[in-house]
Amino acid sequence: MASPPAAFVLDNEAVQAALDEHHPKHQALLEIIEVQNMRAAKGHRAVVVVPVAARIEAGWDRTDPKTANASRVTRAKDHTLDTTAANEATALRRKPDVQVVDATVAQAAMAAPKPVVIVTSDTKHMKKLAAQITGEVRVKRI
Amino acid sequence: MPRNQNKTIDKLFELLDQLGAENTTTLTSVRLPTKLRDALKLGVELGMDESITTAAVQAAHLRLEAFAQRLALESHYERHPNLRPTLARLAQVAAELDDNPIAHQPSLVKRAASEVVSLKPDADADDVLIYAAGLRSAARQAS
Repeated sequence: MASPPAAFVLDNEAVQAALDEHHPKHQALLEIIEVQNMRAAKGHRAVVVVPVAARIEAGWDRTDPKTANASRVTRAKDHTLDTTAANEATALRRKPDVQVVDATVAQAAMAAPKPVVIVTSDTKHMKKLAAQITGEVRVKRI
Repeated sequence: MPRNQNKTIDKLFELLDQLGAENTTTLTSVRLPTKLRDALKLGVELGMDESITTAAVQAAHLRLEAFAQRLALESHYERHPNLRPTLARLAQVAAELDDNPIAHQPSLVKRAASEVVSLKPDADADDVLIYAAGLRSAARQAS
């Protein structure tokens, strides 16, 4: 049965799209944020998180005033890596072809309330990772 | 937008961004309708939240975040009008995010978006999806 997501996890490409209005995926990212905002206004809370490794890879320095708009529009919160999270991400990375940042994206999805949507351009790899996570994990291409 | 309003918006976001980082609280007197207070008390007893204060704070926080985000989005579209999504696109994206089977019928979603606004001018993406489900059901019954 269809149900609204409880969380969104942004990967590196989604973060880049958020930072740059000229990025080819910027509008696609906005559409997702608009749906999230529409439902939040009606009382349905869905967190938007960005794994810190994805933020670093995308070059999002939150102290840079030029990135303030991305923060305001997405309301994305950092998902940090403590010891447990790092262990989980490491375990995910043991599978073939899993990059460090992708493992942290999957770990963030693991920690997030469900259903969770991973927002990514790399749906093939993310779907493989999502299959290892308990709970409903959806992968949305941008 | 007037300059002083921009400053107010800047301050709003500054405070929201700092919310998670601090634990200081302020005693504030809030006049609640009696029935709401009593209902909140029962909700807390039934496990809705830890306390009436938590319930009220979380509700206010959620509303403020959505409101502030809306301001940011509208400001963004003022600068980039071509980026504002259409209702049909929002409904299609909502269906995909929800894993709603109707996402596989984009022409139905598009038709629903154009028709539903004649019934409800301020229809949102969820209204479109309900309307689209109705169209699909009617089509199945007719066949």
